[in-house]
Amino acid sequence: MKKRGVGFASIFYGTGYGNGFPDESRATAEIKEDGSIIIYVGVSDVGSGGLSIMWQIAIETLGVNKEFVKIKHNNTSMMHDSGTAAASRQTYNTGNAVLDACSKLKKNMMLASEEVTNLKVLYKQMVTKRIETRVEGYFKATTKEVNLETGQGNPYWPYTFGAQMVTVEVDDETGKVDILDIVSVNDAGKIVNPVLAAGQAIGGCAMGIGYAIMEEVFVNKGEIKNRNFSNYIIPTSKDVPNIKSYFVEDIEGTGPYGAKGLGEPVMIPTAPAIINAIYDAVGVRIYDLPATCDKVLLAIKNNA
Amino acid sequence: MIEVTLKINGKMYTRKINPMLRLIDFIRDEIKLKGTKEGCGEGECGACTVIMNGKTVNSCLVLAASANGAEITTIEGLSNGDHLHPIQEAFIEVGAVQCGYCIPGMILSTKALLDENLDATEAQIKEGISGNLCRCTGYTKIVEGVKIAQKKIINSQEGD
Ligand code: FES
Ligand code: FES
Repeated sequence: MKKRGVGFASIFYGTGYGNGFPDESRATAEIKEDGSIIIYVGVSDVGSGGLSIMWQIAIETLGVNKEFVKIKHNNTSMMHDSGTAAASRQTYNTGNAVLDACSKLKKNMMLASEEVTNLKVLYKQMVTKRIETRVEGYFKATTKEVNLETGQGNPYWPYTFGAQMVTVEVDDETGKVDILDIVSVNDAGKIVNPVLAAGQAIGGCAMGIGYAIMEEVFVNKGEIKNRNFSNYIIPTSKDVPNIKSYFVEDIEGTGPYGAKGLGEPVMIPTAPAIINAIYDAVGVRIYDLPATCDKVLLAIKNNA
Repeated sequence: MIEVTLKINGKMYTRKINPMLRLIDFIRDEIKLKGTKEGCGEGECGACTVIMNGKTVNSCLVLAASANGAEITTIEGLSNGDHLHPIQEAFIEVGAVQCGYCIPGMILSTKALLDENLDATEAQIKEGISGNLCRCTGYTKIVEGVKIAQKKIINSQEGD
């Protein structure tokens, strides 16, 4: 018989490398003779949206029309390091570096002329008045290694919070788990780009489904046995329900316009919420992921 | 070496090839159309999907020689210059693209589905793209994108 269950899980997760590890981002902002403004920043965007985020932060800070602002990225001969696109750190850390660079450039622009109407003219005024047309921005996260004896320290800052509700259906004759519904709520501070953020949140849930009920690496003497999609199973469109994503925008004072990291935390509550939902449905606790049919069925048999 | 002729995106291409050459290599290496992606090389991920004589195939599983004379559509064949196909427009509008690696295959599977059944239900859409794995999006926005594409195509047909 198919039985339904609902499960919840909540998490908090620190943005950035943490534990006092040097976590720095740099950006350069330059106004050019042709009136364009170039932001040089080492943000790599592999689908996480960092490029759009940096562009938005730059435009907002400079207060100029978006056509005039261009991001140059991923060329180490032209820009400084902004660290990895990892640890959910680009929006917060590199966003802060872009904010810093653009605030400085904006200040210089205002020094040249209170009222900015034409950026080409403004550039000339800046050069005549010997005001810097190219400025550097920098951000360093302030975390501190935890003293394992005293438990004191500041391992991460800031923290992202998330909670999910998952509805499952478990077939108690086959052990198969179907995910029927997921609601994902995240507090990543100010959401800079709602479309991209929802994409991250929903994609994270799909990864969480894989982690909870499908994905497993089999290693034999250091060799991975299931190296392809025929035996390392990830969710398809039929395994993932329509996921609803909501945000609680609790503004983070140290973040660029109040933003925090979002990339990784979004997938963490999914698996525990699914495991809780399985318990709600058929009364068994799975402690060893993934909760594949065989494990669930065996647990049901042992529980009977 | 054998000679094959394939019609790709409306253009004829004749090449002398190794009979073992896969269709994906013909497309990527001989014709230099790099939009078609290889994810797994064993027919599991759908990144290499192209439309061959109206049906989707995994181009990593088809020999170029066996496609001799066939009509192929790749992702490059969808837009008309700068004018994007409604499916492409819809995917961009709704934010269905993250890293983009699955997207050429995803869009071609969608096109083949909608060419056959423009009124596909949500379940049929999910079935239609179930051969295309996506690691990033969780499919929700892709399915939304397909639904928007359906509306766009229907509207444009009514306009005719
Ligand atoms: S590359 Fe052809 S199906 Fe994966
Ligand atoms: S968008 Fe990255 S795999 Fe689909």
